[in-house]
Amino acid sequence: MIQDDLARTEGFRTRWPHAARYARVNGWRMHYVDEGHGDPVLLLHGNPTWGFLYRDVIPPLLQAGYRVIVPDMIGFGLSEKPPREQAHSLDGHIANLTGLVRQLDLRRLAVVCHDWGGPTGLSFAMNNPDRVRALTVMSTWAWAAPPAEFHTRVFPWRTMHAPLVGPYLLGRHNVLAGRGVYLSVVDREKFRREAQPVYEAVLPDPAARLLTWTWPRWIPLDAEARAARRFAWLEERLARSALPTLIVWGREDDVFDAATFAARFKRLLPHADGPHLVTGRHFLQEDSGAAIGALIAAFLGRLDGGGAVR
Amino acid sequence: MTEVAIIDAPAAGDTRRELLLTEDRLGHYPEFRAFFIRAFDLDRVGLARPGHVRAPSGLVYALVFVGRSGEAFPCGVEIHAVVDALEPLDEAVADRDLWSILQWMIAGVGPPWTVEDLRATGRLYRIPAAG
Repeated sequence: MIQDDLARTEGFRTRWPHAARYARVNGWRMHYVDEGHGDPVLLLHGNPTWGFLYRDVIPPLLQAGYRVIVPDMIGFGLSEKPPREQAHSLDGHIANLTGLVRQLDLRRLAVVCHDWGGPTGLSFAMNNPDRVRALTVMSTWAWAAPPAEFHTRVFPWRTMHAPLVGPYLLGRHNVLAGRGVYLSVVDREKFRREAQPVYEAVLPDPAARLLTWTWPRWIPLDAEARAARRFAWLEERLARSALPTLIVWGREDDVFDAATFAARFKRLLPHADGPHLVTGRHFLQEDSGAAIGALIAAFLGRLDGGGAVR
Repeated sequence: MTEVAIIDAPAAGDTRRELLLTEDRLGHYPEFRAFFIRAFDLDRVGLARPGHVRAPSGLVYALVFVGRSGEAFPCGVEIHAVVDALEPLDEAVADRDLWSILQWMIAGVGPPWTVEDLRATGRLYRIPAAG
């Protein structure tokens, strides 16, 4: 049904011409795209998007001679959507991603992370360093504290996913995939025209939207948070990492503002290239997809040209 | 807020429960769980029976509390409309009632949670019941 709805969405096939592939990972059915040849680039989305977020990032990477793999997180896009909150954990999602990479036997990976694709993708990278050669981070985080100021506010963020309110607003009314993303892009009319129906179509029913209010509840707000230990581990591992890294951030990002979050990544990974600021709020790929693709391709090209792969 | 009232269990009659909302993690903010324990005397009642409220439309809603091994009780709650056994639900009415029940809950939980913030969140995200 989702595929039918997508096919009826005006211009969808032009913007997303990729064949659907599926893999069984960690007990779940995961959808992914696998295009091109060459060293692989893994593009990881977050909440509440799916691979479609990277539609304009993919072509420059393919043109530069890379293989591009874009998985949909279990619970989003065209992947299986478990019906219970207990099916989701940060560690479980890291394991899901690990399952896909091992199944495809991807090596010399460039891991590109956005939003929850950061904690999952970066944790995967730190736990599988022999498979990864470079990182890119965009509007994400990798530490337990302090949280983004946006995430500490009762209005609107904490109210939005409070008990029963989350299932009502994000479940019954799909507000994150609809208005939530709309509010977090720069060119809202373009987003409404080209992308909003696609994001809404893959989350057609309240039960399918479970992860949209489950992920916010995994953001550590204090030391007792469920994921605090994993984030502490991730930060510690990243601080010791010498992996070539590219930092790209939305100039207008008001969820993970560049002055705080891009700057902290730069302190954590002082050898990183960037931050490169592009037009964009939290969902910066919606406004600057092609530019981001070109930045990543150029960054990887410099690594390859310089021979400083590891 | 006075539009939602806790009531005794209604006579079963020829009705059914229509599941509308499921919360798997009532203790995500523990004060929400504490509110339901107070409101429905759950430390004494436990899983013996659901709680019931009457919403502004006059419809009755059953609150079915959920226990889970290793977690504080209740760990979850389901909200069901109690409707005529063979009649479809009026979704618009149920949605407005749910919005009223959420406001009643937030008022009961208390600061820092406020009905004003809930309403503002509803308006920001264009929830029809939030006006």
